[in-house]
Amino acid sequence: MSSTWIGLGLISSPINEIADRLGPNDLPYSIPIHPNLVHFTIGLFAIGIAFDFAGAFYPLEKRVFRFLALPVTRVGFHDVGWYNVLACSVISFFTVAAGFFEMLLAVPLPGVRSVLGQNAIDTMLWHAVGGVALLLIIVAMTIWRAYERFVWRRELGRQVSWLYLACGTVVLLLMGLHGSLGAWLASEFGVHITADQLLAAGADLGEVLP
Amino acid sequence: MLGLLPPLNDKNLPWLDVIHPIVVHFVIAMALISVVFDLIGVVTGRRNLFEVSFWNLLVATVAIFVAIIFGQIEAGLASPYGAARDILNIHSTIGWSLAGVLGLLTGWRFVVRQKDPNRLPGGFLAVDSLLAALVVVQVYLGDKLVWIYGLHTVPVVEAARSGVLS
Repeated sequence: MSSTWIGLGLISSPINEIADRLGPNDLPYSIPIHPNLVHFTIGLFAIGIAFDFAGAFYPLEKRVFRFLALPVTRVGFHDVGWYNVLACSVISFFTVAAGFFEMLLAVPLPGVRSVLGQNAIDTMLWHAVGGVALLLIIVAMTIWRAYERFVWRRELGRQVSWLYLACGTVVLLLMGLHGSLGAWLASEFGVHITADQLLAAGADLGEVLP
Repeated sequence: MLGLLPPLNDKNLPWLDVIHPIVVHFVIAMALISVVFDLIGVVTGRRNLFEVSFWNLLVATVAIFVAIIFGQIEAGLASPYGAARDILNIHSTIGWSLAGVLGLLTGWRFVVRQKDPNRLPGGFLAVDSLLAALVVVQVYLGDKLVWIYGLHTVPVVEAARSGVLS
């Protein structure tokens, strides 16, 4: 039941030195920052790629938009693709930084395994390494996208190569798997969730949570 | 009748993980970045950013209805306790209101864009910023439900099922 807390007391960990300054969720603040920044990393990348697809298939959609009397331009779609992916790159540095900070303070519930059969530390390390890898991939994709836009395909209507779109799709699938690991850290391993940590410590939620 | 419903897992869900927070990526990111792009567009005079913010706003508006559908289903299965009940009620109310606000704003933007895609009315950015503020409040409430009250996490569902929570 309270093995987490006993364990923390016995193991000499740097967390012990600041434990009294942390809340019941093992953070110095009540709501984790990383999961909030993740909304931007995932949302901006996904919609960026989606709009480049819209720009790539523009000749097919043109009639539909004309039928709807909705003025659209191919350049407009590709602008959404480019600026969203660019913004994703910028924000994702903060996403990964916040993720590492919060991982250092993580106290997962003991004895839990995820749907993949992984324990807490495996899930956390894969999520951390994957996070850095994804950041590098996102930045590389953005640089690639910039070359397509400003150098290689500057004169062309379709601003992205099919290879870029295919890679973007693969990255999105990776992001989905990676995001699932992160989601399980919360929903299964109770990392930084006040109620889960309090329950593990044997507290009565009816009393301690207002 | 109840037998026809799919069985619920250890997160009290008919599916593997909560879907609402995933769909919500596209409301939060697109609504907030839309305001940022509008602002940068106004400040730097890059008119093509207005096109970027328009489409992002449109995506946010479409996504919020999907988010509400999953939000309502998962809220219904959440068994909130204590103050989480009130937070969930306010979160639902703001959620539906946001759908209205986003819809109106996108409609306004659509009309403005039909006339001249390179122009943004002065008042739009102000209302836009109010939208951003409302989204931030809504995210904060949703965060509380997950990160403080742990709704749909395994330990909380377990506690609720064993009758420890009320």
